[in-house]
Amino acid sequence: MIKKNLLFKAPNGLHARPAGELVKTVKSFEGTTVTLSTAAKSVKASGILSVLSLGVKAGTELEITADGDREQEALDAVVSLLESISE
Amino acid sequence: MRALRKAIGAVEGKAAGSACFLGKRGNRVRPQTLDEAFEAEKARLEALQDDPLFAAHLEMLEDPMLREAVDAALAEGLSPADAVRSAERSITAMFEEIEDDYLRARADDVRDLCRGLLERLGGVARDGAAELPEAAVLVGEEFFPSDTTGLDYHCVRAFVAARGSATSHVAVIARAKGIPALFGVDTEGIREGDRLLVDGDAGTLIIGPTEEEERDFLQETPGPAPCTPLLRPDGSRVKIFGNAGSLPEIDAAMAAGAEGIGLFRTEFLYLASDRFPTEEEQWETYRQAVLHCKGKPLTIRLLDMGADKQPAYWKRPAEENPFLGLRGIRLALAHPKILSVQIRAILRAAAEGPVKILIPMVTDVEELREVKKMIRSCGGVVPTGIMVETPAAVLNAPELAAEADFFSIGTNDLAQYIQVADRNNPQVAAFCDPAAPAVRRAIEMTADAARNAGIPFSVCGEMASGKDAQAYLAGLGVESLSLSSPDQIRARSSAVRSS
Repeated sequence: MIKKNLLFKAPNGLHARPAGELVKTVKSFEGTTVTLSTAAKSVKASGILSVLSLGVKAGTELEITADGDREQEALDAVVSLLESISE
Repeated sequence: MRALRKAIGAVEGKAAGSACFLGKRGNRVRPQTLDEAFEAEKARLEALQDDPLFAAHLEMLEDPMLREAVDAALAEGLSPADAVRSAERSITAMFEEIEDDYLRARADDVRDLCRGLLERLGGVARDGAAELPEAAVLVGEEFFPSDTTGLDYHCVRAFVAARGSATSHVAVIARAKGIPALFGVDTEGIREGDRLLVDGDAGTLIIGPTEEEERDFLQETPGPAPCTPLLRPDGSRVKIFGNAGSLPEIDAAMAAGAEGIGLFRTEFLYLASDRFPTEEEQWETYRQAVLHCKGKPLTIRLLDMGADKQPAYWKRPAEENPFLGLRGIRLALAHPKILSVQIRAILRAAAEGPVKILIPMVTDVEELREVKKMIRSCGGVVPTGIMVETPAAVLNAPELAAEADFFSIGTNDLAQYIQVADRNNPQVAAFCDPAAPAVRRAIEMTADAARNAGIPFSVCGEMASGKDAQAYLAGLGVESLSLSSPDQIRARSSAVRSS
């Protein structure tokens, strides 16, 4: 299992559209589990409801963990997606 | 038969038209099984994927969390429809804890989805556009995103809903389209085709108006009158503050021109966590809040938990009647350790700028004394005031005014408690009118007590945003109005700037 911390910066928070993209990305790595955690809560990133329920806003500290066959690839993809959200 | 109904929330504008019930437009189909309902909703949403909103709905429908919650409820012996309702409740509860209006509003998406499933279980299909009369006033229990897409907006004159609020999805659509909307209106007795006059400025609905009434209604000049600064009887100007429940809301209020934050709710610190927030964590948030106010005053309300706000980690016995239970300052004083952690954090943050402490749900002067004692024993001196939002506080106002540094009237709770009416219950919500004579009398008694004791009073709560109510409160000598909507702050503070 590997993990990485990230400060979420997009001004509108992790809203529906990027959350949907995130879920699609995570689902494409079958056999690898990706988890998103804030100080308050930890959820699997494979469902949009759980991701939205984290309530990630600009300035939220996130910990991303990946566990499975393609964990490095999955972690890199998720981190770069989260960092690229600008809206 | 003519009838006048009052709304709880509204989107501005005036319109006349015939009542049209969207809810009745679906096609009757064979009642479907749960699997069929999921499949059919999926197919419906797949056809709408150009709209990002429905792309998100599809993701939600396909999220295993939804299906697992439904299956878990089925396993407990619930019927498919009750299982969907149960899943809806558990998932929306999760969203409603989020301290962010946008994300919290996703609960409506979940409700919309679940309603689609429920309709199919009951044999109604949602696909197919509605045939609308030429000037339609859409009437319904509640409007969801699925209702407002695919409508012929040339025909839609207004929305009238029994539930919902001025921040719901349909309110956003109505504002964007420039059509009025009313929420929290009793729609009982309205029939398809009834003539309706919708007044989003006054928040009223007239059913079956006379011809003369309709002619006058439409001739009145539309458009909002420009704001003029609000003056108190002594000629001084009423200050405009903002309400906030998070740091971004402070920023939004200040950017709109607020002269400070009159109500900073602190529940989010407790609700967004899985344990009690520490003094350090709270201090950091309050310090940021002070800094975000840029030298303008910040009034921090002590934790107002209980009733409908209860984090999972705070285990408490169930109450049959939580709104008359251990809530607000009663609950906080019953847990002095939790309260003193918050007070110490606030006192430390007060080193950065002007901070006041506001005590929620006070009923008795003893509660004020205890909190002041706790503040002193934490080594602090900050102005300490109380929320006047219970009938007991109104009746005790002279004694409370003698020892409090200020009053803040919370009109939402006060109206509910004075009128004994739950404003979220559409059957009685109309009773919950802050302009009702008993509520006005309570406000006047509070204002008198404040004036006699020489302390300022402010008003937070929705009443503070109505134009007539603002003039009325200014006449009573209110020091400041604390408004929730940045738009209203902007409108009011631009009047200040242009004066």
